[in-house]
Amino acid sequence: MQTITLKLKDAVRSGIATVPVEVESLTPDQLFGKSEAELKAVKVWWGNREENTGDLFDVSVEGDAASADEVKIVMEGDLTRVKRIGSGMKAGEIEARGDVDMHCGALMEGGRIVVKGNANCWAGREMRGGELIIEGDAGDNLCAMYRGEMKGMTGGKVTVGGDVGECICQYMAGGEILIKGNANRLAGLNMSGGKITIEGDAELFGPDMTGGEIVMNGKVLEMMPSFKFLETATIDGVEYKKYLGDFAMGEKKAKGTLYVK
Amino acid sequence: MADGELLIRNGVVYDPINGVKGEKKDICIRDGKIVESVTNPKVIDAEGRVVMPGGVDIHSHIAGGKVNSGRLMRPEDGRKGLEAKTSVCRLQSGYSVPNTFATGYRYAKMGYTFVMEAAMPPLAARHTHEEMIDIPILDNAALPLIDNNWMTMEYVKSGDMDLLAAYVAWIIKATKGFGVKIVNPGGTEAWAWGKNCDLNDSVPYFDVTPAEIIKGLAEANEKFEMPHSIHVHTNMLGHPGNFEVTKDTYDLVKGVKPSKDRQVMHTTHTQFHSYGGTNWGDFESKADAIAGYINQNDHATIDIGSIILGDTTTMTADGPMEYSLYQITGRKWTNLDVELETGSGITPFLYSGKSPVNTIQWAIGQELALLVKDPWKIALTTDHPNAGPFIGYPIIISMLMSKKRRDESAEDMHKVIFDRAELPSIDREYDLNEIAIITRGMTAKALGLHEHGKGHLGVGADADVAIYDMSPEERDAGKIQKAFLNTKYTIKAGEIVVKDGEVVATPPGRTIFVTPECDQKLTDEMLVTLKDKFDKYYSVTFNNYPVQDAYLPNPYEIKAPMRG
Amino acid sequence: MVEITDVVCSLCGCVCDDIVLEVENNQVTKIKRGACSVGKSKLLGHERIKSPMIRENGELKECSYDEAIKKAAEILYKSRRPLLYGWSSTVCEADSAGIELAEDIGGVVDNTATVCHGPSVLAIQDVGIPSCTLGEIKNRADLIIYWGANPAQAHANHMKRYSYVSKGYWTAEGKKGKKLVVVDVRKTMTSKMADVFIQVEQGKDYQVFSALRAILRGHEDVVPDKVAGVPKAQLLEVANMVKEAKFGITFFGMGVTQAGARHNNIVNAIQFTRAAHLHGKWSIMPMRGHYNVTGFNQVCTWQTGFPFSVDLSRGYAWYNPGETSSTDLLYREDCDAALIIASDPGAHFPGAALRHLAKIPVIQIDPYANPTTEFADVVIPAAISGIECEGGVYRMDNIPIRLRKILDTDYYVPDEEIVERIHAEVRALREKEGE
Repeated sequence: MQTITLKLKDAVRSGIATVPVEVESLTPDQLFGKSEAELKAVKVWWGNREENTGDLFDVSVEGDAASADEVKIVMEGDLTRVKRIGSGMKAGEIEARGDVDMHCGALMEGGRIVVKGNANCWAGREMRGGELIIEGDAGDNLCAMYRGEMKGMTGGKVTVGGDVGECICQYMAGGEILIKGNANRLAGLNMSGGKITIEGDAELFGPDMTGGEIVMNGKVLEMMPSFKFLETATIDGVEYKKYLGDFAMGEKKAKGTLYVK
Repeated sequence: MADGELLIRNGVVYDPINGVKGEKKDICIRDGKIVESVTNPKVIDAEGRVVMPGGVDIHSHIAGGKVNSGRLMRPEDGRKGLEAKTSVCRLQSGYSVPNTFATGYRYAKMGYTFVMEAAMPPLAARHTHEEMIDIPILDNAALPLIDNNWMTMEYVKSGDMDLLAAYVAWIIKATKGFGVKIVNPGGTEAWAWGKNCDLNDSVPYFDVTPAEIIKGLAEANEKFEMPHSIHVHTNMLGHPGNFEVTKDTYDLVKGVKPSKDRQVMHTTHTQFHSYGGTNWGDFESKADAIAGYINQNDHATIDIGSIILGDTTTMTADGPMEYSLYQITGRKWTNLDVELETGSGITPFLYSGKSPVNTIQWAIGQELALLVKDPWKIALTTDHPNAGPFIGYPIIISMLMSKKRRDESAEDMHKVIFDRAELPSIDREYDLNEIAIITRGMTAKALGLHEHGKGHLGVGADADVAIYDMSPEERDAGKIQKAFLNTKYTIKAGEIVVKDGEVVATPPGRTIFVTPECDQKLTDEMLVTLKDKFDKYYSVTFNNYPVQDAYLPNPYEIKAPMRG
Repeated sequence: MVEITDVVCSLCGCVCDDIVLEVENNQVTKIKRGACSVGKSKLLGHERIKSPMIRENGELKECSYDEAIKKAAEILYKSRRPLLYGWSSTVCEADSAGIELAEDIGGVVDNTATVCHGPSVLAIQDVGIPSCTLGEIKNRADLIIYWGANPAQAHANHMKRYSYVSKGYWTAEGKKGKKLVVVDVRKTMTSKMADVFIQVEQGKDYQVFSALRAILRGHEDVVPDKVAGVPKAQLLEVANMVKEAKFGITFFGMGVTQAGARHNNIVNAIQFTRAAHLHGKWSIMPMRGHYNVTGFNQVCTWQTGFPFSVDLSRGYAWYNPGETSSTDLLYREDCDAALIIASDPGAHFPGAALRHLAKIPVIQIDPYANPTTEFADVVIPAAISGIECEGGVYRMDNIPIRLRKILDTDYYVPDEEIVERIHAEVRALREKEGE
């Protein structure tokens, strides 16, 4: 195993503005096999300039890796303005020790990300595979599509320990996600496949659904007015009301399923 | 700025308008024009490479309201073509709907130097011109839509052909347009009520038929010495069985005399109009019937509108057609009907080799090119971006030049290609001279631009030259495709704009517009009716309607005198 | 005295172009025809910024154009993340120059759509938009819906020129023969004229659209008795009117774009239009505010591929409103300098965004002093587009119209030229550093 520790320097956060640093170049698969000097020279974007990783982060490397799977990146310091952590990553592990900025785990294909805090908007955007664990809250558009696309998350597994924002899993087509807290409005908008489980409260989930399922274990604050009650169903011994929709899409397309306690 | 004198030495030149078929020849350039000889030139060594005039695209949607609506509604397409600015180039975006800068660069890299924007809504003509200003390198022109206009339909109905000619002249001048564009005549006006028209249907409330509109506009066009004929997107685009409508449309203008030595009708993206069958289930190719007609007659030319497999953005003034397409896919759909004139629709579409319908469509475009015997009657297009983006041209060129490539591709397509299309049984292969005809010679002639320096390399022509990094003997389809995608050199008006596949200079292009010179008395009489339309029905004033000179910073005017 | 006709109004998205006015001694003395009261007051003119200014020790001090432009270029050249915001009350030529500058300095370029109809654009990117020009509505519409919009007050000429009251080819009798439906959270001047007024609970338009869609697609059975405070019977009544209309139009305003589900309200409004289209011809159109807010979106789209909130820091476009939009950048304190042109965030941005704007260097380009001037560090007065200089603009229905120049100015510089001169100074600074 190899552990690469990247600690954001305080100086990066000390200016008149908190210009975000964008680190999609710092994933285990891209850093695997690099010497410490090479690693420090990897470019990251900071505003409109490209900088050396070593100039923005304190870098330390421990151990060796035989493949990217054996590389673990630990990110430390104030990460609230560090975007695209683990974006596009294919293998290995990233542990972010604190709150992270937007697009954490976006376009992720494999490996594992653990965020030991909250994740800002668009975490897991267009996720294809791998595992994303956010121990705190996640912002809007978690695991959604990019603007204009008709596919969001298509694979992988996501767990959020806290609450989530609006429009999570928009255009979700595959994969699984578990929300332990509450979900803001329009969860699973345009969903066509995959599964969302919400342990907490939620409102107006599943609009324009054409497939997939949403399991609501918490309180329903408001239902969409265009779903049809089908029957009572039992899953793992728990009784749910099963709904079909969204009939706003017309009968042919209304193939999404809601399970509401 | 032009590079002073240039000498392109020892290239193998294909200049079909001047009858040059692959001769080893030097090309001399001075002050942006082809000349007999030069004295102290910069020399470009083209030894063994293919040299052609700059490409002339007869039909493409590159600028204006619906192109931009396509860009705006498809950030997912925009993200596909992102390239950062360089010291020479502005930023680029988009695949099927590239931004204006990418449009200029990518065409220039393929050796093209002129592109016709094929549909300009008159009321929004300023928009088309504003975007053309921002398309670097390419000379351009635009065809205003004149067929669903209330003025046109009313004059056709009343039979006042002289007044119709006066209106046609006025609107081409007011829009700084190039010629007469016809798109689903009558059908787009019917679409304002959610309906459509076949060729001999009566247009709701206007009591004329599309057939009468087409014939009337052909006659009006020929009252002037217009460089181009009417340019027609026939009714019932994309409907199974529409090949009969297409043939009937050709027949309409058979008796019309052209005012110049050219066709009287160019029909565009003919692939979409060569369909047999009665529904999508028994859909089949009728390319043979259409090609047969073109082979037997000399008054009509066509462009193919060949399919490029993959995702694209369809867009046309044929509003009802886009609506039908959106109903099939359920994808996003934009529509913009334009008062008293036209409309437009936009929806994304994926052409898949797994789909039987798309497979047949894919075959039809190429069949047309291979079955029409005289290449001077046919042009290479993809109706960009409708059948696919223009950067797919090199794919089609390689298909037309290689039976082997076609056979290999057919293996990857739906098996229906072997039952309901003719492509697998066609052996013909294009040579480079024929490729030069369908991409520059024919197109320049059909547009009348060969008289204005386009599409050939004769002395006095514009020094627009493409040098492809391939030997004329090359038979490998992959290498042919690669060579036609990125030139060794593209020279525009005597300036090297592309070198080794990279854009090295981005001079602005010129906008070519036509001024039909109509009799003043007729114009005055027509204006009485037109001004009444403005007072009562338009939402802009008569005086704010015409395109101001500010929108053509680099104009080139062609005058079209009225015939006695 | 000279009478000038066909004057184009540079106030709101209606871009009325049939104004007749009188000019005497290089001043507009009388508006004879065409303008609404707000348009009139703009055309008649009011107090201007007198001179370029630079803030020194907290005070704005007058200076020359050259000095102000040089100072502006220094600020932008140094910046790691500049925001170039506004662009809606100026002409397309200036917008074009601004986008080129933003591209060159790696800035974020954004217009006022970000705080008004940006959500409408996001909605179009989800589902497209079936629409038409305003003249189509004037000539054909027999059912007009204003949803979260109050044109009687905000776009005073709109109903008269283009919709409910106007007369056209198939609508020769004006409002006779047309139906008007108004949907809003409260009674308005517009709702008083309506045949049907639907009062929706605040922020719940989304549910109403979904319910109407289900009804129009034949599934009224699934709709509950009341949706967002609206009785099902009233929804059925409106759905019937929609089905019977030959040519319908929904105009929507910021009451829908900025409340509740925001851009998803508009997605749903467009989905409602698509469902209505199964029964007759239907269009939908945003009631856009500034006269050229649409134009900036057009230029930005054909130049960068994206309509607003475009981050050019890497030399290519990254578009993601919510992340790259001005207010979000300011809330997050992401940008370290700002150029504000032809707009007034000082009056329209939320407090949290303004606090950061007040902290960073701000360049303002505008004909008039406004709340933004209070914290601007460089102030550059501009000629008034549509009065002192001409240029292209796009009406709310995307129709391009050219503003006319009606008065001379021997002092004020047009926006386009100011931006180009700043850009030239930036290039000079870069060359100097390169040496």
